[in-house]
Amino acid sequence: MKKILKYVASAVALCAAIAMCGCGPSKPVLNVYMWSDYIDLDLVKEFEQKYDCKVVIDIFDSNEFMYSKLKAGGAGYDLIQPSSYMAKIMYEQKMIEKLDHSKLPSLAKINRAYLDNLAIDKKMEYSVPYMIGFTCIAYNKDKLGKIPDTWAVFGDSKLKGRMTMLNDMRETIGAALLFKGHSINTTDEKHLEEAKKQIIEWKRNLAKFDNEVYKVGIRSGEFQVVQGYSGDLFQVFAEAPELTWMCPKEGFTMCCDDWAIPVTARNKELAYKFIDFVMTPQNAARNIEFTCFTCPVDGAKEFVSEENRNHPGMFIADEMYKKGEIIQDLGADNAKYIKVWDEIKLAK
Amino acid sequence: MKSRYTSLFVTIFVMVFMYLPIVMLVSQSFNESRYGGKWMGFSLKWYEALFRDSAVINATVNTLVVAFAATVISTAVGTCAAWTLNKYRLSRLQSAHYVLVYAPMCVPDVLMGISLLLMFVSMRVDLGIATVILAHATFCLSFVTFTVLARLQDFDFNIIQAAQDLGAGNFRIFVKIVLPLLGPGIAAGAMMAFTLSMDDFVVTFFVGGPGSTTLPVKVYSMMKHGPPAIINALSVVFMALTFTVAIAGQFLTRKKF
Amino acid sequence: MADDKSNFSARAGAKRFTEWLFTAPSLLWLAVFFVIPSLLVFAIAFKTADPAGGIGPGWTLDTFANVLRSDYVSVLWRTVWVSCAITAICLLLGIPVGYWIAQQREKYRYWLLLVIIIPLWTNFLIRIFAWRVLLHPDGFLRSALLKLGIISDDVFLLNNLGAVITVSVYTCLPFAILPIYAAAEKFNFSLIEAARDLGASRFKAFVSIFIPGIKRGIYTAIMVVFIPAMGSYAIPDLVGGVDGEMLGNKIAIRASANRNLPEAAALAALLSVIISVPVLLVFLKQKGVLKNVINIRRSSGDSTK
Repeated sequence: MKKILKYVASAVALCAAIAMCGCGPSKPVLNVYMWSDYIDLDLVKEFEQKYDCKVVIDIFDSNEFMYSKLKAGGAGYDLIQPSSYMAKIMYEQKMIEKLDHSKLPSLAKINRAYLDNLAIDKKMEYSVPYMIGFTCIAYNKDKLGKIPDTWAVFGDSKLKGRMTMLNDMRETIGAALLFKGHSINTTDEKHLEEAKKQIIEWKRNLAKFDNEVYKVGIRSGEFQVVQGYSGDLFQVFAEAPELTWMCPKEGFTMCCDDWAIPVTARNKELAYKFIDFVMTPQNAARNIEFTCFTCPVDGAKEFVSEENRNHPGMFIADEMYKKGEIIQDLGADNAKYIKVWDEIKLAK
Repeated sequence: MKSRYTSLFVTIFVMVFMYLPIVMLVSQSFNESRYGGKWMGFSLKWYEALFRDSAVINATVNTLVVAFAATVISTAVGTCAAWTLNKYRLSRLQSAHYVLVYAPMCVPDVLMGISLLLMFVSMRVDLGIATVILAHATFCLSFVTFTVLARLQDFDFNIIQAAQDLGAGNFRIFVKIVLPLLGPGIAAGAMMAFTLSMDDFVVTFFVGGPGSTTLPVKVYSMMKHGPPAIINALSVVFMALTFTVAIAGQFLTRKKF
Repeated sequence: MADDKSNFSARAGAKRFTEWLFTAPSLLWLAVFFVIPSLLVFAIAFKTADPAGGIGPGWTLDTFANVLRSDYVSVLWRTVWVSCAITAICLLLGIPVGYWIAQQREKYRYWLLLVIIIPLWTNFLIRIFAWRVLLHPDGFLRSALLKLGIISDDVFLLNNLGAVITVSVYTCLPFAILPIYAAAEKFNFSLIEAARDLGASRFKAFVSIFIPGIKRGIYTAIMVVFIPAMGSYAIPDLVGGVDGEMLGNKIAIRASANRNLPEAAALAALLSVIISVPVLLVFLKQKGVLKNVINIRRSSGDSTK
């Protein structure tokens, strides 16, 4: 059976290869598995020229799917980009390498405030922080005026059917937990019960729980208040002056996507070079302007254009790292959140 | 006459229904705004961006290669399956065969993707465009089979008997009689397979490997940072090309006759 | 006589051989690429989940017990009725379209089919975004409906089950039309004329002659619309509202965000069973009917001898 399968597969591969008729010269190849539109592609071209290699970028759209794919073993990627909590799981499961800092001189410039206050992998043992974002609330200031910076806005029934919260249990339950004065990583069932009641109350005013369409929705005027990720929203603001954002005073969640090298990587040397290349202040600055998220490299600010230099969301101030909280994996206690989230979805 | 008009009206309604969003899509492709919805002025910038974006073009080529290969495989195998399912419909083998063809439609694509991934990995097959084609052919197969089967209803086997009596060989019978009779069914099935393959995201995501990113995978991931306006432009270019090819094909075949 | 008999058995053997020969490609293909992997995954439903997202070492029946909990019932019910609505609308629109196309001149038929399927060759997500523009609260469609007094001010066209059904019908309709057309193209339209001559109304002729005449096309249309609709999750996600979750969404969430593959597999098994019951019933009935018809034919054939 195996043989037959291999024959079939290779026959099909042959056809595909002929159809593609692309047999490039055999340069070293770096296979990167990352989020879409998360790096300035001109920078990748410069890297290819500098090290005479080819960078193949494949993309994923969820940490969990990426994990199941690598866990199954059939990946072939040299460099991946898990979020911090996922990097921790993968390291514990021996799926990613312990990093050799001697190959990464640019790590010296990584922001200490982030590493000390927030990071899960404070010593960068297995991951290098690439892009940090936070959840905030975007709203239409032309229609609503200035609104106070609090999560309570979702309780406003005048905005019924015109607001969205994220379709992500940790983010949305987290928002209610913060509103009630608890940690977003709590495992106390009483706290979760309070948060559940709060979201069910908010749910009556929401158009939907959504991760995808809120950006178009707020732009086109369909929604007037949305909970969303910082960089993605800042990209929308670039063409929509009527929109603005706020960070709720009760606190907010932060997340970071890291670089990590899978243990199965075939070209580790090149992967190290790539990380080191993108984490220099000049290159970090270009990626910050490309994604509107924060790359925690000291000195990157100097290389950014005038208009973005003082953006409080794109250059997160050190005290924000103290105020924000990062979502951690809770292991077996995740089940509590899943249960609460199921109940919220079912509640009328 | 009433019913004839009713069916005409329904058809017109369906055409409007099918093309209303397409009109929106075409107009959005010329919209300056990246997020759509509001008109910010006429612009060709998405078309320019499209021709510069090698990743999207690569993904489009991958998608077409996969869709074409999967359609060819699933149409050939599926037509065969429909033929036997109809001809020997009373045998026990065909009952099992029927259930087997029917079952893949009942499995949600997330599970199909994960299950194929586990199998390919356990057999140490390298993931890539070939595994994507195999997976697509698998889920298209059922749809093709049932569409061709719909065509075979009340198929008159006497025609074949007659041809045999007149001394025609099996191959001749197949090419001269069976294929033309099944033509519309096979064409409908192939169109269905092509469409399904072009739109699949989940299965492709799981069984793909380095360098096999297809358009739906690309677009789904691009969504994270807002809707990819350049895909509007791509859709318009693609539809225009399809219509051009179809019209050209029509003219070429007309000349022959 | 004896010669006849041996000839017959040889023929039967040859017939069996050809049957196997033509069945083999799809049978083998599905065995390798469907049965083996599916067994692998459904076995996982009996495994314990490991909190990190992998599959635990032990075996358990708890996952299945968990899936049969009461709180899935409302999701399940919603999934079933929404899928039925989608299927019904697709048939209601698809049958007249198939009927009309099949009556057109041959050179136009493929064109019409192509015109119907081409909208689906644009990207799935982009189409949904186009729908969101169409159904926008300040869009022309809602404004028109408001002006005409058909809807009141607090009715939105988006983020509800109506939107889910509309967009799903949009996506599924061509798949319903294709098999109906494939069957109708072969239908002998003079039968309808004959019925008309015998005094049946057009509608009556359509219902009692045309529809049974393309029965298998309709069965296929039901299958290719209903089954994917039962498992859909992207459309409820993108145009549904706060209460729009379907079973497909639950499966996707269990397999991804919740990292609980065993429960996803168990839910999928549940879904497969629910889908299979009605269709297998139809299939068995169909087989029974066929058997009866053939028995009658045989006996009538015998009597003429």
